[in-house]
Amino acid sequence: MDQRLNYLIAGMFVLLTFITIIFVTTLLPAWTFKPEASAEAVVYTALETEGRNIYRREGCFYCHSQFVRYQDPEMGEMVKAGDYVHETPHVLGTERTGPDLSNVGGKYPSAWHWAHHIKPRAVKPGSIMPSYSYLTEHEMTALVAYLQTLGKNRKLPQWIVPPQEYRDRFAVISEKVNVKASAIANAGRGIYMQNCAQCHGVAGRGNGPVSMSMMKKPANFTRPYYAKYRDDMWFWRVAEGVPGSRMPRWDRSLSDEDMLYLVAYLRTLPRTDNPKVNDIEVSEMSQLDDPNVLDHNFWQIESLNPTNHGGGDMESRYAYGGGRGD
Amino acid sequence: MSVLTRAFSEVFSDQPYSASRNFLISGIFWLVLGTTLGLLAASLMTWPDMIRGIPQLSFGRVRPAHINMVTIGWLSMGYIGCFYYILPVLVGRKGVWNERLANITMVIWNLLVFFGVWSLLNGYTEAREYAELEAPFDIVALAGLILVGINGYMTVLSGPEKKWYVSVWYILGAMFWFPVVYIIGQRVFFAMEGLNDAIANWFYGHNILGMWFTVGGIGILYYLMPRFTGNPLYSHTLSMLGFWTIAMFYAPTGTHHILQSPVPEWLKAIAVISSVFLLVPVLTVLTNFFMTMKGKWSLAADHIPLRFALAAGVAYLLTCIQGPFQATRFINWYLHFSNWVVGHAHMALLATFSFIVFSATYYIIPKVTGRKIYSKRLAVWHFWLSLYGWIIMMLALTIAGLIQAAGWHFAIPYDQWVIEMHPYMIVRTLSGVMIVLGQILFMFNIYHTVFSKEFEPAPHSPTGIAFV
Ligand code: HEC
Ligand code: HEC
Ligand code: HEM
Repeated sequence: MDQRLNYLIAGMFVLLTFITIIFVTTLLPAWTFKPEASAEAVVYTALETEGRNIYRREGCFYCHSQFVRYQDPEMGEMVKAGDYVHETPHVLGTERTGPDLSNVGGKYPSAWHWAHHIKPRAVKPGSIMPSYSYLTEHEMTALVAYLQTLGKNRKLPQWIVPPQEYRDRFAVISEKVNVKASAIANAGRGIYMQNCAQCHGVAGRGNGPVSMSMMKKPANFTRPYYAKYRDDMWFWRVAEGVPGSRMPRWDRSLSDEDMLYLVAYLRTLPRTDNPKVNDIEVSEMSQLDDPNVLDHNFWQIESLNPTNHGGGDMESRYAYGGGRGD
Repeated sequence: MSVLTRAFSEVFSDQPYSASRNFLISGIFWLVLGTTLGLLAASLMTWPDMIRGIPQLSFGRVRPAHINMVTIGWLSMGYIGCFYYILPVLVGRKGVWNERLANITMVIWNLLVFFGVWSLLNGYTEAREYAELEAPFDIVALAGLILVGINGYMTVLSGPEKKWYVSVWYILGAMFWFPVVYIIGQRVFFAMEGLNDAIANWFYGHNILGMWFTVGGIGILYYLMPRFTGNPLYSHTLSMLGFWTIAMFYAPTGTHHILQSPVPEWLKAIAVISSVFLLVPVLTVLTNFFMTMKGKWSLAADHIPLRFALAAGVAYLLTCIQGPFQATRFINWYLHFSNWVVGHAHMALLATFSFIVFSATYYIIPKVTGRKIYSKRLAVWHFWLSLYGWIIMMLALTIAGLIQAAGWHFAIPYDQWVIEMHPYMIVRTLSGVMIVLGQILFMFNIYHTVFSKEFEPAPHSPTGIAFV
């Protein structure tokens, strides 16, 4: 009998701790944590709610998160608790197989989304996003309407900016070297030829001899995409290198001054090369069997005929190359 | 007797231990299907255009189907099968309190898994990770869990043995906690708003692992280790300390899954602190585990179930070093959102808890059917295919995760780093092929043991070494 009493007391103890802990960490917040709706919180219309339900039904959130953290400045403004008051059930997501979608609204025209959902690899070579060609016309309209509300009121940065640390560092050291001067650019050309041309090519097209052996090819600096790079952005990329690729961290071997010379040179390169999708991922393209959706040149996606897909607002705030996924 | 009536009487049997056997063999069936779904999901991440235009087979639906099939279908059924053998033995009964009720629960649970996964594939989902099943299924699952619990508790209360071995504690704990976690986290009864919903979701997402798979798995392990080695359990005090601390530290850790979202800071702080404190129960378990092995390591050469248990122990150690590590803010800052986490999930659920159930199955099936396992060769193949499959998968996912994390952190355009991940995705798919193959061998081996007309009777073997 004594033994039983011991068990009982012990059992009650576990029960009590457990219930208390659950209460404090799971149920208590439901009472105490009631953020005010922020200006960014979206109240969804019926169509958008339907789209949101399709988003949940198709499991988009297994690959896409919907919260921007402070370490993701290039994904747009950071989210606040108040942004989520109308988000029930939540779609925060825990994996970023694809980009965060908190601020995707307005980033692309709706026609782009149509095309992207039907043939992701036509607009984004190498993407592993599934094709949603099976959605009906109406479902697609609803889904895209929902996507266009995301982060409607938040601002997406004009262009990727380097981390604060590099912005500050650049501001300090660039006082000594004027990266806009052509003499400096000429000096940078010399350093480039010695250190970079073997990979990035003499003309900066990413086709230097060493690039042949690389799976991830060196950057082609003559793509129009790079016209948007700011000087401190170049500086950051050169200094930090590209983790996961053969691009070295030049910070380790070059002086700040040398890197500024390089920046001066890189910023002068012409941005005229307009690669076709076919040059990037020929193999992917052969799988795309449905010819009526896209022409295969994703730099000129404007040529999509939006009327085919139930309309699209072309008043995107940013050009199509405006995101990191360019 | 026709096949049908025979099957019927087997399924609704009241033979002692028939429920244990039935749960285990149903679990194994879902294991093969569930890992195949995982393989499908992995292939879709490697070759996204492999299947197009079939909604049921698109990644966003296959993934929850995979997860629910392996957690609710395979692991939970495997666990209950083990519990229904271990509990009666430990309290000195023959069979559980009500074997027929247990078998009815088994049928309900199988229907739940089948229709649940079917509904997920067809897009009926609550869309909360790990808690995807819709409300009707939640209610059935809850009813099932309560039946499981009643049977478990009544077995223990009605048994002659009143001094309960630690496994009984752990198992009864798991049977009590899981329904509680399920009610709160699966949101059966009331809805929460916005971020609070996410908090409840991850309370469930983490505690199905913590309060069910961990507590139950350790209970099984504590039963198996002394049996396999013939050594007494190293320390009962440690095992009880582990039991209490799990209850304290597991419940609030859920928020570490959304550590950087705008939920209240104090919740995150509690989650991180208790995640690190989880090292306490983990170390008690592992100390016990490895000390019980003392002097008996050579057994592993021949003792297949022990080999599985050892692999599980090592994987548990690794998981639980990795877990607190990645729950700290600095590390989470970098690794969150990447395939690294998926690697971690497989280390826990595949390499630790599934291996524990494999180990238990090879030991329990001969005990409950009186038949020696059909083929040792197949069991050895099962071991190596699963182990190497997992190691390769783990490495591939971890490396891919690091690339992915770097890609996001350094703002590298997606189409440039994704091709870097492709080779690892191929390797992961191949590892999946190995694992699925291993499980097919496992299923064949066990089914042949249980159903074949010809069999070798299980020899007398207290440590179970002669069963396989
Ligand atoms: C297998 C994972 C996966 C699933 C599931 C998935 N996506 Fe994606 N998604 C990606 C990847 C990878 C990218 C990045 C490459 C690209 O743009 O295609 C992406 C990109 C996007 C983008 C462009 C984001 C940007 O900023 O450029 C949108 C919008 C998007 N997905 C919406 C969706 C929607 C809506 C669904 C569900 C119907 C969905 N995704 C399901 C992987 C996925
Ligand atoms: C070993 C070959 C190699 C060498 C040498 C090399 N790079 Fe790179 N570079 C690469 C690769 C590979 C990438 C990756 C492109 C990508 O996928 O982002 C890259 C990327 C870059 C980028 C980033 C582009 C972007 O998209 O942001 C910059 C800037 C750059 N290189 C500048 C330089 C400069 C300047 C030098 C010489 C000091 C140099 N690289 C030398 C291989 C090289
Ligand atoms: C018994 C064995 C298994 C168990 C218990 C298991 C469990 C899980 C769990 C819990 C997750 C969710 C991970 C997360 O939180 O993000 C998951 C995801 C996944 N699993 Fe498994 N798994 C098993 C076997 C397999 C196998 C053999 C494969 C085939 C390669 C596989 C492929 C996948 C894939 C592709 C995902 C989705 C990952 C993502 O979204 O990026 N699994 N599994």
